[in-house]
Amino acid sequence: MILTKTGEDLHLLKIAFREFYFNQGNMVEEPSKIQNREFGLMGFDGVMKRHLMFSSLGGLVASLIFETPSDVFASNAQYDFPTLPISEKGWRGAELIFDIDLKDLDMKCIRSHSYASCLSCSSSYVSGSQESCPKCGSNNIAESMLPCDRCVSGLKNEVLKLHRFLTSDIGIRPEMIGTYFSGNNGFHVHVLDESFNDLDSRARADLAAYILGVGILADAIGVTKDTRNDFRIRFPIGGLDHGWRKRISDRLGISVSSQKRLSNLIKDLGGLEQFRRRVAEITRDMGVRIDSQVTTDVHRVFRLPGTLNGKSGLTKILCTDLNSFDPFDESCQLSNREVTVRVTIPKLKLRLKGERFNLNEEFVRVPMFLGVYLISKGLAHAVRLDPGTGRFIVPASTP
Amino acid sequence: MNIRLGNADLARYPFLNEAAEYMSQTYFNLDDLNLPELRHIVERASNRIRNEIIHGKPDYSLERHEVEILTFLVGILIIKAINSDNLTKKHCLCEALRAEKFLVHDLKMQGELANKKLLVFKVFKELLKMDILPSLKYQLMFEVKVTDYLKRSHLFHEQEWKLINRLVHDGRVFLDPDETVRLIRSELANLLFERIGQMNPSHIPTTIREQANILRSILPVAPRRLDHAPSAYPPCINHALDQMAAGENLPHSARVMLATYMLAIGKNIEEIVSLFENAPDYNERISRYQVEHLAGERGSHVRYLVPSCAKLRNDGLCFATSQCEGLINPVQFGRAVKSYSKKVSV
Ligand code: SF4
Ligand SMILES: [Zn+2]
Ligand SMILES: [Zn+2]
Repeated sequence: MILTKTGEDLHLLKIAFREFYFNQGNMVEEPSKIQNREFGLMGFDGVMKRHLMFSSLGGLVASLIFETPSDVFASNAQYDFPTLPISEKGWRGAELIFDIDLKDLDMKCIRSHSYASCLSCSSSYVSGSQESCPKCGSNNIAESMLPCDRCVSGLKNEVLKLHRFLTSDIGIRPEMIGTYFSGNNGFHVHVLDESFNDLDSRARADLAAYILGVGILADAIGVTKDTRNDFRIRFPIGGLDHGWRKRISDRLGISVSSQKRLSNLIKDLGGLEQFRRRVAEITRDMGVRIDSQVTTDVHRVFRLPGTLNGKSGLTKILCTDLNSFDPFDESCQLSNREVTVRVTIPKLKLRLKGERFNLNEEFVRVPMFLGVYLISKGLAHAVRLDPGTGRFIVPASTP
Repeated sequence: MNIRLGNADLARYPFLNEAAEYMSQTYFNLDDLNLPELRHIVERASNRIRNEIIHGKPDYSLERHEVEILTFLVGILIIKAINSDNLTKKHCLCEALRAEKFLVHDLKMQGELANKKLLVFKVFKELLKMDILPSLKYQLMFEVKVTDYLKRSHLFHEQEWKLINRLVHDGRVFLDPDETVRLIRSELANLLFERIGQMNPSHIPTTIREQANILRSILPVAPRRLDHAPSAYPPCINHALDQMAAGENLPHSARVMLATYMLAIGKNIEEIVSLFENAPDYNERISRYQVEHLAGERGSHVRYLVPSCAKLRNDGLCFATSQCEGLINPVQFGRAVKSYSKKVSV
């Protein structure tokens, strides 16, 4: 990804990011027990420094201004010795976090707003149309994507589903759930209820499977194998009142009051095997598309709330009201100061920080936040004016 | 919750603190065990352990509380004197199984005797720091916190223990009496194991020493243990080893994984067979046959490969962590991955 950026691009990004941490350092959220967290700072060169420790928010923000990383991460785990190698850190529990990412949603619109940038001639085009660069034929391509409103509502929908699982099934109080826009293509849902902190990765895997809707047995709703009659129905104690049992029975239109109905349904489907498959389909469909690897790993570092996402220049930010939350507005925190960029994709339309932009020209003056967004996405390059000639200095196409 | 334990309770749960208190009130002295009057106790305890060694099964017989508490204590002393980790584990598991049976019985009590349940809750609360509530809604069902459930259920490989197959509502998991007690079996065993480790009797009376010597002679000769460096194994293997250590019955697929993995990293058949020693249904002849088969020394003479991560994931045996990023097969764990670009941040 770094290959798509010129020296000029990096220069501009660093200025913008430094400015942000200098002026809006107060947005950076202090994790609880900051001195027990492992931090990771990703440089614009793509190199991640891990195993860092900060004992105060002030110290952290000072470092962010001074070092200007492209991305800032903190562990969800608390450690006795955050700076030591993983095996010696002394793990003291980790917040439970769920990640909902566009890549797991199979949105149909994605192709229409995915772009490929040619690294050889630095032109861009809507991807999906061609395998190689239509201009120079190169196969040296970097992909990027600008999520659309439909994508955002798709994501929000998954988040709301997750909220319902966490509150009504898992019993977490709504005020103990923090929902963050990641600053790029997803949401992070943090569980603030500390009773989940000491779950190990296997326990988390089981919880994740529950939420994903993976691993259901027809036995759970009382349908078991019977060697003589193919299947047998005996509704479980506790019936089908709650949780997955209720979801499945609602979807199938069955209830404990009518065994006959369920029995007919299984026969109509063609027997136990088909019924099992149907139930598994239902749970997959009604489950939440979380990335279970993220939830399961208790040694991961997560983007720190209130810091910039290097893939977009947007801020990871808390959504207090998910319904009205607009990621293209609220998380856009960079300045309005004008910069010049060369847009590599013809006729780009987008909305950012409450404004609509129609970019038809190749060279345009745009607000910093938009410039950074496009450069981060690999769809534009920073341009400087030559003080002597007053003409654009077009950076070499290959960095 | 203020409930009094009767002597009959102490007989069934001799590991409770109250049982130890009872003992201290009787002015019992370790050397009393050399007295002929207590001969039958020493023999009872010794037989119990003999039975555990030979059949791997607990003794469910129940006598007066004085007898039970002493048998329990003498059992521990003999185990201490024999000083074999494997046997200690086995003994603890059997004692846990024994308690499990009584616990289930108590949880099923209804009507007048229902307050027996209170005792069970006390056991859970004090020993395992876990709350169990009788369900108000469903007769003979119990509620445990989702977190308490998740912390323990991963020890079971059966799909029915996966949270998704449970009745879950408002942060609680609903269980019947058998399941409730099953949930804590291995924990109870571990707890006993810990306690035995901490116990330091001033000396071991001669009778106990004698019994220990007799029992030691019938112990299977333990082959050298694997040097178990947990962090060196991938999570799937560690999980299977943990399950074994907890005395769980591994499914066939997990045994195949474990055996092929150990073969792949160069352990010999002896070492691998000894790994399975802890399994409740352990049978040396069969284990050896199976491992030799997998090693290609029997039958088809095909050496079996370690199943792929994808296969293991499918079988529910994968417990991937970030260190597994990019792995195709568990044997790669800790090797090539280091150079892969690992996705460790979100
Ligand atoms: S990813 Fe592979 S090595 Fe890691 S736990 Fe799963 S099966 Fe084992
Ligand atoms: Zn090109
Ligand atoms: Zn879209």
